[in-house]
Amino acid sequence: MSSVQTADKDNYLKRIAETKNKRPYSPCRAACPVNTDAQAYVGLIAQGRYNEAFEVITAPNPIASVCSLICHHPCEQACRRCTVDEPLAIRHLKRFALEKALDYRHSRRKPVKKTKGKSIGIIGSGPSGLAAANDLANLGYDVTIYERHPMLGGMLSSTIPPYRLPRKTLQEDIEDVISKGVEVKTNCEIGKDITINDITAKHDAVIIAAGLSLSRSLNIPGVEGEGVVLAIPFLTDVSFGKKLDLGSKVLVIGGGNVAMDVARTAKRLGVKNVEMVCLESAEEMPAWKWEVDEAVEEGVSILHRQGPKAVRREGGKVKGLEVLKVISVFDANGRFNPVFDNSQISFIEADNIIITIGQMANLLFLKDSHIQVDERGRVVWDPETHMSSAKGVFVAGEVVTGPGSAIQAVASGHRAAVAAHLYLQGEKIEGALPVYDKEKILPFPTDVVSNIMPEHRAKIHHLPPETRCSSFSHFEFGYDEIEALKEAGRCRGCGSGAVVDTSKCMACLTCQRVCPYGAPKVTAWSEIDPARCQACGLCAPECPAQAISMLSYNTMDIRKTMPSIIGVLDTKREKPVIAAFLCTHHVGVLGFDMPDNIRKVPVHCTSRIDITDLLKAFECGADGVAVVRCPEGSCKYKGVGKRVAARVNRTKELISMLGIDAGRIELFRAGSGNGNSYASVCNEFAERIKEIALRK
Amino acid sequence: MIVGSQKPIEEIWDMVKDSKKVLVFGCNTCIAVCHAGGDKEAETIAMMLRMRASQEGKNIEVKHFSVMRHCEPEYFVPVMEEVKKYDLVLSTACGVGVNFLSERIGDVPVYPGVNTSFYGGVPASGVFTELCGGCGDCVLHLTGGICPIVRCSKSLMNGPCGGTKDGKCEVSDEIDCAWYLIVERMKKLGTLDKLAEIQPPRNWSSSAHGGPRRIVVEHLQELEQKEDNKG
Ligand SMILES: Cc1cc2nc3c(=O)[nH]c(=O)nc-3n(C[C@H](O)[C@H](O)[C@H](O)COP(=O)(O)OP(=O)(O)OC[C@H]3O[C@@H](n4cnc5c(N)ncnc54)[C@H](O)[C@@H]3O)c2cc1C
Ligand code: SF4
Ligand code: SF4
Ligand code: SF4
Repeated sequence: MSSVQTADKDNYLKRIAETKNKRPYSPCRAACPVNTDAQAYVGLIAQGRYNEAFEVITAPNPIASVCSLICHHPCEQACRRCTVDEPLAIRHLKRFALEKALDYRHSRRKPVKKTKGKSIGIIGSGPSGLAAANDLANLGYDVTIYERHPMLGGMLSSTIPPYRLPRKTLQEDIEDVISKGVEVKTNCEIGKDITINDITAKHDAVIIAAGLSLSRSLNIPGVEGEGVVLAIPFLTDVSFGKKLDLGSKVLVIGGGNVAMDVARTAKRLGVKNVEMVCLESAEEMPAWKWEVDEAVEEGVSILHRQGPKAVRREGGKVKGLEVLKVISVFDANGRFNPVFDNSQISFIEADNIIITIGQMANLLFLKDSHIQVDERGRVVWDPETHMSSAKGVFVAGEVVTGPGSAIQAVASGHRAAVAAHLYLQGEKIEGALPVYDKEKILPFPTDVVSNIMPEHRAKIHHLPPETRCSSFSHFEFGYDEIEALKEAGRCRGCGSGAVVDTSKCMACLTCQRVCPYGAPKVTAWSEIDPARCQACGLCAPECPAQAISMLSYNTMDIRKTMPSIIGVLDTKREKPVIAAFLCTHHVGVLGFDMPDNIRKVPVHCTSRIDITDLLKAFECGADGVAVVRCPEGSCKYKGVGKRVAARVNRTKELISMLGIDAGRIELFRAGSGNGNSYASVCNEFAERIKEIALRK
Repeated sequence: MIVGSQKPIEEIWDMVKDSKKVLVFGCNTCIAVCHAGGDKEAETIAMMLRMRASQEGKNIEVKHFSVMRHCEPEYFVPVMEEVKKYDLVLSTACGVGVNFLSERIGDVPVYPGVNTSFYGGVPASGVFTELCGGCGDCVLHLTGGICPIVRCSKSLMNGPCGGTKDGKCEVSDEIDCAWYLIVERMKKLGTLDKLAEIQPPRNWSSSAHGGPRRIVVEHLQELEQKEDNKG
């Protein structure tokens, strides 16, 4: 690996990204269906660099705002902090960054030139269709989206209830895509308003991203008729403002996430008594635990291990549901195969029943086309090329992958877009589509876990259940800046730590001796185990060959940026100019409001400061140098204090050799923890420097 | 490995103060391991010199960079063009590197940035101890693996002098008496009887006293020359 240390800044950032891409991913990034670099953007948030965080977040994800509210966040489930305390609140941090970067976001919306001279029609505007449209517009294609609903977004706009996903938020994502010059045809149903053959004739390529728009129903007596509705039409009606009367008792059949949305929507429509009935036990339920908890908080009750037998009606009107006791849901091989006890029947009263047991595609519109549908009603396709049986017609999203999450549909959309692009450019598709299954770094070894200070996850606040059920208002609050910076500071920077330039390393063992986590192993040269490395940066300034660079929180170019931080100094300056190296951990950049003469050098941790960084400040003309660590007991790394103190002392020695008073550099601790703000510490130090200057 | 330490900045300043363009040229092997002259220390010295120059109101350009070793040509030849652009090179290699480079650089003076001290070991990070005198006629098999040439202040060959006291050398309380160590070690190894044999006076010509030394590995050198003849 070649050195990244001497490269200029832009080049440096690019090379860092390149290096990171070649190495095993952080678990959060590997777990994301589109490999969003959560480590990178959480790190940028911790440094207050929200616009850059926005770029990282949106690069692979055109529905980032949506995901910031409703993603099932597999990144968090994979977060290595889980073995220490709790995962990073990655999704919520994403929300924070996107909200902070809103103006920046609006400022960068602009049309993309249509340079390719080819047009692509996309059927469906859900996550997969939007992702494909976005990618193809970026590549310079002329893109048209066809959507049967009045609003773009697919399930996001037509079924996901606004208390979880306000439409204003969704609109931000949609605007980003549309502003590139994508043409939109809403209220346009293929197969009704226009035929599939018209579409294929009109465009050079077509992507079918029609999702799963039909709800499955139950084949039980009494199911037909008024009072029994299906989930998707129900939620769609609510989404598009249709008034519904559900009586005072609604029974929801099903135990998945959609069932939770249905039950909670019913609550918000004023239904007093909402009950759910599902085959599974509480542990077996497919719904996410947090969705269940939120529903229960809102007063939804859940009956487990009951299977629907018949809808009981009186004079056509629904009276309730007869259910059978469930003996088991899954067979020995873990396959869904419910077994009922036919002798144990009970009855649940209800005015209305909503069936929420799954979805399927509606492919009637393909009837008179070359696009084949198999005997089970699924589009025939080749997952290697994303192509259907008809040349130039591609497929994306749940219509072929089956039910999953919004971000999985985005991943599928990306693949379909690349496939269509390669097809139109006459290039081979097989093996050229993006793959998101990446190698990830291993969990923390147990001795490392015990070396990581537990830090509580910043709480996410919700509207209280009593209030939130009275409307469809968004029920979750975003982080304020202090909360967000604190939370972002919990990240261990997995996979973004130290890397060794093997052409410089001479196997001196220093890093191996310095590292508190046993990450470097020196043989012919040093190799740093990314599973152990905490990205603290303690080792890099100690390496006598300057062979170590850090893949995150770049402090390597402090020395390069120092001249511009200090600036050109007035020889008759009244106030001493202080270079203040400030730990950003505690409340990040927030405590850093300071007078002009204090020149701020925010650092991820003071562990990363090199003696040469400190000297550089003097070389650039600083009258004093303050190194300000976070408050006592809050450093999130091991062994920092002694090393930083040693570096400050060595710098004192060095400047003394030049006849500069050793008191011109000092180490401090500050932050809310011990009552001294960063600013007061720096100001007091400036006063001291004034005295030193007078003495001379 | 070779151990050295940085010269005081004033001494270095005196060497370079009349030049216009100075390169602090680091060496990333032994001298880097002892934190005296690797890339990082070269940068530190360069900064100190720039600050010193500005204190004196002098306009001197000081830059730094490093290569793996100054004592073998292949390492520095690729950067030689660049090195020759300076009017003074302050090498932070050991003395070997300074000599070696000086002979090959043409008209540019090469001055030392470090004091080269000894061959030593590294018992712990940042600690270096002298253990071998490079005498050219090793006797460690006779002395329990402890060098009397360099670890005994008087290089005695046949037991301690009268100044040994409680295992310490009369030169300083901080120096272990090598002969005390030798005896204790040989007791442990069960070879103490070997010490009864009197060592004849040493022929110091194999050491530095016999003039500059040169070792040639004949079979390798011949090969090199044959290759040369081919060309
Ligand atoms: C109630 C509910 C809640 C969910 N909650 C979450 C959640 O919290 N988190 C999460 O990650 N995922 C959630 N999902 C899943 C997520 O919505 C889907 O994974 C995603 O929308 C699938 O995207 P898609 O592009 O494949 O299809 P869809 O979003 O279904 O979009 C397909 C679009 O094609 C249109 N279309 C279909 N046929 C035609 C036609 N003939 N002519 C024109 N247009 C047509 C449809 O109207 C629709 O707009 C939820 C889904 C539902 C139903
Ligand atoms: S600690 Fe940070 S980098 Fe590591 S998995 Fe969690 S969020 Fe990702
Ligand atoms: S400190 Fe630097 S030179 Fe020494 S072993 Fe580690 S990477 Fe190599
Ligand atoms: S000292 Fe810190 S940055 Fe260096 S290898 Fe160890 S954990 Fe990683």
